[in-house]
Amino acid sequence: MPIAGAEHPHFRTAIDEYLETLPAQTCQRLYRSPASCLAVFRLLPNLAKQTVMSLLYIYDFVPASDLAARCFQDSARQASTWGDRDSVNKLLRLHIIEQEQPEEAAAAGQSIGDQRLRINQTFGEQMRNALTGGGEKGSFGIPSAVPDKHPVDVAFLDNYATQQWEAILHFMIGTAVTKRPGRASLNLLRRSGLMTSSATSNSEAVSMVITNKGFQFLLQDVNTQDLGMDLVEVLNFLFQLGALELGKDYSVEPLTDTQRKMLDDLQDYGLCYRRKKGSRRFYPTRLAIALASGNASMIDLDKGDKGYIILETNYRVYAYTDSPLQIAVLSLFCTMRSRFQNMVCGAITRDSVRSALTNGITSDQMIAYLTTHAHPYMRKQVPTLPLTVVDQIRLWELEKNRMQPKQGYLYQQFARQQDYDTVLQYAEELGVVLWHSRAKRMLVVTQDGHVQVRAYVQRRKARQPPGADGDRSQ
Amino acid sequence: MSTPRLPRYDAVSRLFDRQDYTYLPLKKDHASRPIWINPENGHFILEAFSPIADQAQDFLTAIAEPVSRPAHIHEYRLTPYSLYAAVSVGLETNDIIDVLNRLSKVPVPESVAKLIRECTLSYGKVKLVLKQNRYYVESQHPSILQRLLKDDVIRGARVLDSGDGNSGNSFLQNKAPTADGLKIPGTGKKAQGQDAEMFNTLIELDKDDEVGEDESEDVHSFEIVSAQVENVRKRCNQLDLPMLEEYDFRNDTFNPDLEIDLKPITVIRPYQEKSLSKMFGNGRARSGIIVLPCGAGKTLVGITAACTVKKSTLVLCTSSVSVMQWKQQFLMWSNIKESRIAVFTADQKERFSGDAGIVISTYSMVANTRQRSYESAKMMEFIRSREWGFLLLDEVHVVPAQMFRQVISTVATHAKLGLTATLVREDEKIDDLNFLIGPKLYEANWMDLALQGHIATVQCAEVWCEMTPEFYSEYLRETSRKRALLYAMNPRKVQACQYLIRYHEGRGDKIIVFSDNVYALREYALLLKKPFIYGGTGQTERMNILHQFQHNPALNTMFLSKVGDTSIDLPEATCLIQISSHYGSRRQEAQRLGRILRAKRRNDEGFNAFFYSLVSKDTQEMYYSTKRQQFLIDQGYAFKVITHLEGMDDMENLVYRDKASRLDYLHTVLMASERRRMPRWRTTTLARRAAGSLQSLSGGDSMAYMEYERPKAKKDVQHPLFKKYKKKRGAA
Repeated sequence: MPIAGAEHPHFRTAIDEYLETLPAQTCQRLYRSPASCLAVFRLLPNLAKQTVMSLLYIYDFVPASDLAARCFQDSARQASTWGDRDSVNKLLRLHIIEQEQPEEAAAAGQSIGDQRLRINQTFGEQMRNALTGGGEKGSFGIPSAVPDKHPVDVAFLDNYATQQWEAILHFMIGTAVTKRPGRASLNLLRRSGLMTSSATSNSEAVSMVITNKGFQFLLQDVNTQDLGMDLVEVLNFLFQLGALELGKDYSVEPLTDTQRKMLDDLQDYGLCYRRKKGSRRFYPTRLAIALASGNASMIDLDKGDKGYIILETNYRVYAYTDSPLQIAVLSLFCTMRSRFQNMVCGAITRDSVRSALTNGITSDQMIAYLTTHAHPYMRKQVPTLPLTVVDQIRLWELEKNRMQPKQGYLYQQFARQQDYDTVLQYAEELGVVLWHSRAKRMLVVTQDGHVQVRAYVQRRKARQPPGADGDRSQ
Repeated sequence: MSTPRLPRYDAVSRLFDRQDYTYLPLKKDHASRPIWINPENGHFILEAFSPIADQAQDFLTAIAEPVSRPAHIHEYRLTPYSLYAAVSVGLETNDIIDVLNRLSKVPVPESVAKLIRECTLSYGKVKLVLKQNRYYVESQHPSILQRLLKDDVIRGARVLDSGDGNSGNSFLQNKAPTADGLKIPGTGKKAQGQDAEMFNTLIELDKDDEVGEDESEDVHSFEIVSAQVENVRKRCNQLDLPMLEEYDFRNDTFNPDLEIDLKPITVIRPYQEKSLSKMFGNGRARSGIIVLPCGAGKTLVGITAACTVKKSTLVLCTSSVSVMQWKQQFLMWSNIKESRIAVFTADQKERFSGDAGIVISTYSMVANTRQRSYESAKMMEFIRSREWGFLLLDEVHVVPAQMFRQVISTVATHAKLGLTATLVREDEKIDDLNFLIGPKLYEANWMDLALQGHIATVQCAEVWCEMTPEFYSEYLRETSRKRALLYAMNPRKVQACQYLIRYHEGRGDKIIVFSDNVYALREYALLLKKPFIYGGTGQTERMNILHQFQHNPALNTMFLSKVGDTSIDLPEATCLIQISSHYGSRRQEAQRLGRILRAKRRNDEGFNAFFYSLVSKDTQEMYYSTKRQQFLIDQGYAFKVITHLEGMDDMENLVYRDKASRLDYLHTVLMASERRRMPRWRTTTLARRAAGSLQSLSGGDSMAYMEYERPKAKKDVQHPLFKKYKKKRGAA
């Protein structure tokens, strides 16, 4: 549940890791916006922030050992972290600091052992702009000049965000929802591999099924989930969103075409609110600001951080919830029995677990879900969940995985036993036989072996009168 | 009260269909109330962590059947029988609904209130009381007596001139009975007002106190001719006003008192006391059943009850072994003279001296209708001719209803107490017991008793043994009978058994290995060189083995067939291994577990008893095993699945390690299955001339499990509410 950023490494790592994969040029472009620089800075771990700050107003290379010397306040632990050079490496990967090239170092007469570091010039300039104001206009968003005739308040925005978001989640877990998510969300779900259209789908009436990755997505926090999305072109916009103020309306005017298109999508996800398409103003929701600012504590869409699930040794599940979403998630792997206003009863059964497994939800995910959302009374006991039930869920998964599919090619209808025997012998020597039956003159070979065996059969065929050899079919 | 029956409609409503009870409004202070009520099937869901859970539990056990009682959330089910039981311990319709309403997060649904009203209005309103050797029909409500008297049979049975100036339509009026002055021995306090106490602690329902002084607590009665008692009883059942039987033993001057009391050093435990207070709550003896887990001291409860009634007592149990155990327990806990206890078995036919005493026998001895020996016939005459104050029925769940009818019609008795560990039967015959003996008076919570150290804590495990390829291919080929033998004899199972025995002997445990299949029992035992006892083992040998097991530190493992399921008291045993069992019998599983619950070492720091069930993977056994465990799982036990025994394959002298020996073994097993129709689940009940053991003669071999009959179509005694629910559940 969203509490504080520090407890949610997922969030940070997800976006950091993503940024780290970007090529230098892209980063360079990204850092031209002060808002983006500030947002990236916010996402950094503390030690890296400290490093950036100490380099920010130094325009030249600084020996790494000097940097280390500035960070000794937390002594031992910090030192070892420094020793790992985690934060420096991270900054290097993000292209926020640069390393002096060896030849430059040699020219400057530095010993090779001491690495010298400098802040990325673009990043440095724009970061300074961000701190002191200045630089490109509108990087932090431009509030609408004219007051809104239909102003909305924060509560409304929160409600809107929750609704949009839950509509997507409900859609993912397949509950019958009155409100279908917009096409943008559907596309995104499919593209990101969170769901797959089932084979029967035709035209618009997509029936989508949740995938393994999709379930993983559900298990994460609300704000972590957003980052599963592919938002390459709009990073700048996203980072800008992080700097906006909740409850204020902003002008659409300064946005680029891409960003305006993106705004439509964001509206769909519940990140932004516009009264109608083409409206000249937009309101960021809490979701958007928290997402982009890395400030997870802003989001509390998930009502109540308390766990609500009690799982008993007799496989019964009692969940203190009235949230259709939570109930729907539970119903993915529990058989639901009865429902009261503040509680639902269900049970984990072999069938319910198997149907979840068939949908690609793994036992680990089910167990993780039950553990993360365990009722406080469950958390008092060690282990949190009854071991026997956990074991059983795993065993049901193993049971399902006992059969392993292997691709192979079937050779059959050998005219003569001798032909069959020769081919079998050849295939056995190659070690590619998966299955054979002398009585039925049938033989299955592996995918790899197929080429050779087929060639062998054809060679034999060429040597012999036609009709003497076997047919094959896959 | 009309609640709008509109469930909240949202995205997940369809998951619940008719089980969506969101239309039940939550009370404002619902958080401090511990139960939800399911209006459809009368289930209660109780938060066991609520501060008032203890009181709520007491109340719910009194009015409903416990369904599951694991750690946090318990479920109870309201049934007509449970309500019948509630009424018989003195709860009134309005009290039940009232208290329920106080405990519930939601208002008591009309359907449930209606069921409670329907069941409690007719039940328990009329009592048959024997006072000073005269039978009275008693009720708190004169109108009901009036209604009865409109019936010809009952009017005909009434004694019109009872000599105390009562005639015509007026009834005798008395103060309602109280437990004043009655002391249940061993408790150190008076039995007085147990019911009231329960209510008072329960959410300040202090109404009872006032009611105590109230005039409405008077009871009205009329006398009936003793010869007509049976007819009146029958008639009342037909009128849907079944009579509860209460025995006013303190005012019975006709039957001589028996000089018996608990020894001063005997102290009974709180839950035993609670169960007895249900029986003697109003100073009279109510008939009914007390359910306590094995090892929780059922015998002592029975003995204490006998010491309270202090009249001639007949004790019936399932085997001659337990007959001897009962006798010994009577001598141990009470001060009764040995000459006052008589034993009636195939071997011994004694009579007690004096005019009151105790006879201990088996069900089959008393129910036997076949030709008897002269001695037996005389003994039966002795039993039949007497009026018994108290009938104690041990292990009531194992006895077929027919045998019960026989016993109960043979013996003239005033109060009956049934004792059992598990009121589950695969044939649903439990319902019969309710009417033959009486309602369930008390059922203990296993987990609570284990937590308090009264019974041992047990680690349960199910060990999955892969079938070896040879056995499995044979298994797939065979019909069900041979299949059972093949999965019982699975070499991996033998290995697992060998491994577990070695492991636990190494820990200093005493181990009992159970097998229903006698062939498997013998083979395993011979192979692993351990002694075994089955139905055919002679009495001397049996006693010898049991004695050795108890006292010889060199003998730590023995094999038992199902003769050991019940009534063999072995507090030394700390580990059980089950290699073959009776299909899906939940009761047998519970009973076997009971063998280690009384482990002597249970109060040692960190002591755990162990219960292993060896199951051959991918066979029918897996299915049965799950079914068997259901009762224990509902009691809160957890079965851990073990798929791999660490280090088993490296064990020295592991049997059947190589394929050749396994094949050899397979042939032996297959040959054996040809030779005799295996497995022998049923022992024929036809008369045999062979010399039999005491066990077989007393019926111990064949009578233990009668449930292989498929459950018959249930009798139409269910409340329509439940029928509806059941039907729906069946369809779902």
